[in-house]
Amino acid sequence: MSLDDTISTHSEGHDHGHHEAPEVVDSRERFGVWLFIAGDMVTLGAIWFTYLYMRGTNTDGHWMSMLGYQGHSYAWYENALNSSAGLPAATTIHVGPMSAGLIWLVALVVAVSAGIIWWAEKLLRESKNAKAFSNIALLGTVVVLLAVILSIVQLRHIPSIFVANNDSQVMAYTGYSSAMMMIIGVSMVHFIILAFLGLGLAIRSARGAITGEKWFQARLVRIFWVWVAISTLVTTLLTVMVNKL
Amino acid sequence: MSTSTIEKTVHKGNASGGGLARRQNFLTGLVGGIIFAWLFWWIARLVGDQSSRSFSDLTATSVTLGWLFGFWLGIGALNGPFRWLIGRDQTREDQLYYAGENLGVSRYWKFTTDHKVVGVQYIVMTMVLLGAGGILAMAIRTNLITPGNHFVNQQVYNSFISMHGMLMILGMIVAVAGPWANFVVPIMVGARDMAFPRLNALSLWTLVAAAALLLTTLAVGGLPVGWVILAPITNQAGVGMDFFAMAIVVFTVSTTVAGVNTLATVVKMRTKGMTFTRLPIFVWGSIIAAALGLYAFPYFLLAEVLQLMDRNFQTSFYVASGGGTGWLQANLFWMMGHPEVYVILLPAVGAIFEIAAVMSRKPVFSYKTAVGGMVALAGLSILVWAHHMFTTGWAPTLGGPFMLTTELISIPTGIFFLVLIATMWRGNVWFRLPTLWVYGFIFDFVIGGVTGIYLSDIPIDNQFHGTMFVTAHFHYVFAGSVLFGAVAALAFWYPKVTGRFLNETMGRISFGLTFIGIQVTFISMFLSGLKGMPRRYSSYSMLFEHTNFITTIGGYTIMAGMLVLLAAVITSWKHGEASGPNPWHANSLEWMVPTPVPLENFDVLPVITEDPYNFAEKVDH
Ligand SMILES: [Cu+2]
Repeated sequence: MSLDDTISTHSEGHDHGHHEAPEVVDSRERFGVWLFIAGDMVTLGAIWFTYLYMRGTNTDGHWMSMLGYQGHSYAWYENALNSSAGLPAATTIHVGPMSAGLIWLVALVVAVSAGIIWWAEKLLRESKNAKAFSNIALLGTVVVLLAVILSIVQLRHIPSIFVANNDSQVMAYTGYSSAMMMIIGVSMVHFIILAFLGLGLAIRSARGAITGEKWFQARLVRIFWVWVAISTLVTTLLTVMVNKL
Repeated sequence: MSTSTIEKTVHKGNASGGGLARRQNFLTGLVGGIIFAWLFWWIARLVGDQSSRSFSDLTATSVTLGWLFGFWLGIGALNGPFRWLIGRDQTREDQLYYAGENLGVSRYWKFTTDHKVVGVQYIVMTMVLLGAGGILAMAIRTNLITPGNHFVNQQVYNSFISMHGMLMILGMIVAVAGPWANFVVPIMVGARDMAFPRLNALSLWTLVAAAALLLTTLAVGGLPVGWVILAPITNQAGVGMDFFAMAIVVFTVSTTVAGVNTLATVVKMRTKGMTFTRLPIFVWGSIIAAALGLYAFPYFLLAEVLQLMDRNFQTSFYVASGGGTGWLQANLFWMMGHPEVYVILLPAVGAIFEIAAVMSRKPVFSYKTAVGGMVALAGLSILVWAHHMFTTGWAPTLGGPFMLTTELISIPTGIFFLVLIATMWRGNVWFRLPTLWVYGFIFDFVIGGVTGIYLSDIPIDNQFHGTMFVTAHFHYVFAGSVLFGAVAALAFWYPKVTGRFLNETMGRISFGLTFIGIQVTFISMFLSGLKGMPRRYSSYSMLFEHTNFITTIGGYTIMAGMLVLLAAVITSWKHGEASGPNPWHANSLEWMVPTPVPLENFDVLPVITEDPYNFAEKVDH
């Protein structure tokens, strides 16, 4: 006991160790989060570039169709295989843009989850109620998990074309379908990260690692969460408003 | 002093309760990586790919993901996030343990958070990457020693070319920033560690995971596509391409994490009085490069993610028959590619400024102009990427603007020469090993820079594009300049790491061999290029016979120089001449702390009252 006391007195006298004020640590961590967001912004810019570039070049008219390509829609091909009539004659296949309603729904769900997390943080800072915070953070997590599920539904409905050449039969995606697969996939990875962070907030506050006094991490997570919601919204605007040629 | 002994005993007493997590090291990482690679392979076969081939794109990609996950899990990289999730944060005692207190040499094999350990690990990683790239360079040069020499077969030769390029590029990216932005920058700004010590360990071990994937590429069919990995040839390559693409994805994670850490450390952890104008200039080089890396590497990440999607999920990003285009890949690659050159160059330039000032006993000439030049270089670098695509037919109307922005680059680089020469001008130059490599840097960088201006000119580029002239140009920049900057930095800060000088005699022999080797290799390579010899060819016309023979001899000379340097690094570590804590009589903070630098660097955080280049005292030498 006395030994420990000596050390701690000595440590303080010499400013030894990580006895930094929580505000100092938080300011540093917030800066780090903003830097990661900056990197994410560049990635988003590159994704926008890719989407617009593919639409702009529309190589061989393949942005949304397989014009002049010997192809079949997948459902058609399956039916043909199951019937005795054999493969129907190949035609040009057009794929329409994906359901705008579903794309908006995902963006909306993520925006709602961001709102919930923001509300939870506000409540924690004002009423200091860690128990309520934990429950609301869990709610936000569940909502963002819904966005993950909706993303999986979207991925399953990306229009694809079954191309049956003379020598190969492959599933192929047009420029638009490829770009949408990338955007939905990248968004989903972000949602999964949010779910991890939200779950962390819920568990940590339940266990006393986040309290009415120690609320900094709630803000860190909220900052990133809101950024993901905003980036999802602006990307939704892009893909819904700019998709046909 | 006696207190620290007591502290150690106390911690040792408690450390036994650590459990499984404390046994984790590189070996458990390796085992975890292999187990999960196998597991993911098995799952991929089960759910996705029942084709007869046991190693399709999908299984190969799964293997790489499994490797990364298992390696992270095995070495302990995921412990922190997991403990955060369940609300069991590390105690102070945990932190000291993971910083490597009382762990001895074994801390170099673990997920250790101490920035100085990470710095040393980066030195080793740099040598591994550059060494592997160097061996491939020797194979390539041996193949090219005579026109029809088939030292390796053409497909393997193609793989060697790409792998040599990529290993060297990745090695160069970490060569200065890896060791020294980690080892000395936190001390230079008066911090006890990096801003995020666990992320620091994560960036290092993620680099190890990426390097393993990159080297494995050679064992699974290679990468016979050229180092700029242009589509659509990449879509036709074997599963080596999946390994490579994932290696790059993992690598970009590593550099992003490292860049965020360096920036946060310098912006948020400077000690009292350490204003931005009092920063040692190497710190500026490091943070400008870190910021530029944060901008550049997302493009690389996306370029390779799209590559993986094309190969695994039948998307069409780079496939013209599906609505994509190879130009998309070229744009994404070079939007990363040109800024990346300065991510590599700027830390080296910062180190060269630093060393030139200390060894000349003079302040950095026009400090603010030097910093401004580095910022301008970084800013310009994001507007020049299409100069790599002048001959591809992409957006010919933009050729003029891109030529202009590229030529503007010569202004900040001109400032660098001005600053360097004016810093040393009439200085009391101390002619030791670091100084020698600084001179080499200046000489080579002139040649690398001026030939770059030639190539920025579209009519000349139309002639030189795809020839050995280009190869010689960027080797003068990388091998001639950055490598010399890296060795200068190594010679300069080696005493801080080891308490010993890098052997001066061996270092000078190494300099002589390397410097002469560089000139012989790459001047003859310029001549091959001027005569029209194309890059990447495994055999060539008799027209290029003599210059290629000379190039190969020069290449061997460089390798000899590097081997002497390696021997110097190894032997001096234990047996070098003792240096004391401040052998160069410098004023920046890293020289004010004892050597070896204690854990957490400072007992009491210093207060800064002046810049580090006030060399008022007379030094005898
Ligand atoms: Cu360039």
